[in-house]
Amino acid sequence: MQKTNPLPALGGFAVICLLIAAPFGLPVFAMTLLTELIILGLFAMSLDLMVGYANLVSFGHAAAYGLGAYASGYMLLNSAMPLPVVVLLAALLTGSVAIGVGWVCTLATGVSFSMLTLAFAQLLYAIAFKWTSVTGGSDGLAGIPRRAGPFSITIFTSKTGFYYFALACLIGAYLLCRALVRSPFGLVLRGIRENEAKTLVLGYNTRLYKITVIAIAYALGGLAGALYAPFAGFANTELLFWLLSGQALIMVIVGGQGTLIGPILGAAFFMLLEHQLSSYTEAWALFFGLIFIAFVLFAPEGIWGLARRAFRRGRAPAEAHHG
Amino acid sequence: MAEVLLQVEGLSKRYGALVAVDSVSMHVRKGEVRAVIGPNGAGKTTLFHLITGVVPPTSGSVRFGGSDITRLAPHAICQRGLSRTFQLTSLFPRMSARENAMLAAQARHPRRWTPFGGADVFTSARAAGEEALAQLGLSHVADRPAGLLSHGDQRLLEVAMAMAQHPELLLLDEPTQGLSVEETAQAVETLAQFLDKAHITVLLVEHDMEVVFRLAHRITVLHRGAVIADDVPEAVKANARVQEAYLGGIE
Amino acid sequence: MSTLALLLTQGVNALSQAALLFFLGVGLTLIFGIMRIVNFAHGTLYMLGAFIGYSLVRLTGSFWLALLLAPLAVGLIGTAFELGILRRLYRRDAHAFLMVTFGLALVTGEAVRLIWGSDALQVPPPPLLSGVVFLMDEPFPLYRLFLVGFGLVVAVAIWQLLERTRLGLLIRATSQNAEMVHALGVDVKLVRSGVFGIGCGLAALGGVLAAPLVTASHGMAATAVIDAFVIVIIGGMGSFLGSLIGALLVAFVQVFGNYYLPDFALAFMYLVMLLVLVVRPGGLLGKEA
Repeated sequence: MQKTNPLPALGGFAVICLLIAAPFGLPVFAMTLLTELIILGLFAMSLDLMVGYANLVSFGHAAAYGLGAYASGYMLLNSAMPLPVVVLLAALLTGSVAIGVGWVCTLATGVSFSMLTLAFAQLLYAIAFKWTSVTGGSDGLAGIPRRAGPFSITIFTSKTGFYYFALACLIGAYLLCRALVRSPFGLVLRGIRENEAKTLVLGYNTRLYKITVIAIAYALGGLAGALYAPFAGFANTELLFWLLSGQALIMVIVGGQGTLIGPILGAAFFMLLEHQLSSYTEAWALFFGLIFIAFVLFAPEGIWGLARRAFRRGRAPAEAHHG
Repeated sequence: MAEVLLQVEGLSKRYGALVAVDSVSMHVRKGEVRAVIGPNGAGKTTLFHLITGVVPPTSGSVRFGGSDITRLAPHAICQRGLSRTFQLTSLFPRMSARENAMLAAQARHPRRWTPFGGADVFTSARAAGEEALAQLGLSHVADRPAGLLSHGDQRLLEVAMAMAQHPELLLLDEPTQGLSVEETAQAVETLAQFLDKAHITVLLVEHDMEVVFRLAHRITVLHRGAVIADDVPEAVKANARVQEAYLGGIE
Repeated sequence: MSTLALLLTQGVNALSQAALLFFLGVGLTLIFGIMRIVNFAHGTLYMLGAFIGYSLVRLTGSFWLALLLAPLAVGLIGTAFELGILRRLYRRDAHAFLMVTFGLALVTGEAVRLIWGSDALQVPPPPLLSGVVFLMDEPFPLYRLFLVGFGLVVAVAIWQLLERTRLGLLIRATSQNAEMVHALGVDVKLVRSGVFGIGCGLAALGGVLAAPLVTASHGMAATAVIDAFVIVIIGGMGSFLGSLIGALLVAFVQVFGNYYLPDFALAFMYLVMLLVLVVRPGGLLGKEA
């Protein structure tokens, strides 16, 4: 029987403990960065579900982010619903819309599929500009509050409270994705990734599986966007722009696709570059793009993939080919 | 006489002026091993594609177990109990042989949609997969990545995957394709023993006459898309039209 | 205005739009024909052409010089990219190509933002062409008419190049059977680099020409790449004639759609794209999807 390696679980537990303890040790500006990282990490991880596990390369994931942000922003500004409810509703809304998007996009495969996802994001971008009454047009929505919960639970209105909520969302989403990819459903996704034609012939309705993955990925992306709106206090068309979709894809590839953790690292790498380099040069995003190209050429398994490979080489060869 | 499991009536496929399959009719009975043979270009694989829904027919019908499956999608047909292998090896190269068989077995599990947990689905799929591997003599390579198996083992793995689905009808498209003489002999022996024990209905496309005569109960001969003979092996061997079609006769 | 006058002006309008789209589409289809890859950076290179055109006009005061030099510059950049980076990927799968050209698009997009800022920039048309003509007593921009003519000239030129010259023969042969061409002693790699450069240059040409009409802006890139993709899908990947037909179709749908249903223009495009992909994944005249 396989020996279960306790190290990853212990490592994960340690990281979670650190994250929970963070507000007590870190200064305010660092906490803001950490919260942003959690949101961005969630966004990138949601894309990994599509790209890394089902080989569905989306160039329009900003659609999920923007849709979630606008939905939660609008609800927070125009209703009295508490923050957690709004965020979850926004995520659900995004997931529902994504079923339609997935149904349409999976009519095609390969490059055509990717183009269709981009076209849809562009469509939303254009709608956001035009539908001024709801989206605020090119100005977007501003002054988005962090509304208190029911029974006057004001915990989410503070920065620390919001941080814990975002963290809970990330951990919850991660556990969900992890369970999904390890389930029978996940095994089928592996099959689709390796040989879709064969998976179809074996009797699986591969298109339904793909649509389901897309819906879940968009829902989680929408969750990230829904968290962003009250975090930043605004939602605008930049959140639907194709450059954001591109940055998400880069985070997934550079961090390590098909690993769930990798993209979160990719997000961290992205933010690190942004905050370190932006004080020296405005060209940091350009460097990020160049690094991306380098990774695609020379290290397609990404940072986390490289780390896992190096770690495995250091262990006994008998266990080397598992995982 | 056993009941008719697969009923093909007047099945045709035209590509413009080219007639790939010309009004083919045949009845395959339960428990029978039926071989479909014919010279190159006779339409054997196209016939398979028509039966399994990969290619839509120009005319004609296919009935399986009493219901019409002519226009169903390939995955739906598979769900009805037809499993097939392909001429060109198509596996999941980075997954182990066991995982390949598991994925195949899982496709017929009623709860395969389970997004979470589903440990019981895995257990039964694993059992079915391992049983199929054993039937085809592949248990000793169960943990090896499918892409690293010998060519002969890969062909047998394809059959194992189809078997792991507990099909009512097994369609084998040139199972010994690309194998050397020794590999073919080994594969055929394994298949023969397996078919003896399994009592499963099989539709088999083959080039190699030795294989056909070793395995088949009945032979349908195609020539230029049409049936020119449909009989027991000895009769087909002696059939003049068949000999003519093969230009020089069967040995 | 009368319906006839309307149809005429909008029709010529559509033809001018078709010219711009043709430059976009023909480059993409040539690249696909030769290399079997979709150049995702095509839209950004179109945009780059517009911005470089803007700077050249400001620098030299001559639109015509910009029209000549901007495509050249972008073509060279494209060739350099192919030589340096894309060459390493020929043994990898189609995904890697898509990712890398995507990376190029992002890098180029950011570079444009850095060099020229985030605002849209006005490019004045050449004084020779800034007037109006009268079609059935309706004023019509001379510049657009020029586009129609220029587009026709370039289309014929490319057609003649493909059909009548040795280079054209090489391009057509390589897109059908690269190995055979290689066996005949031709340096296929050179042909590929050349065609990639030409394709990029054509996109940039479209960008320079478009700039006086739509201003050089950042939104251009994404719309352009989708437009280019739709055209090539409609006309068929790798088909020169197809890119012409696709450009005409898309232009007419866009212009007339914009006139009658201005708010739904984008949704309409999305719908058309969908329809074509569903009905014929290989396009109307295409080789492969």
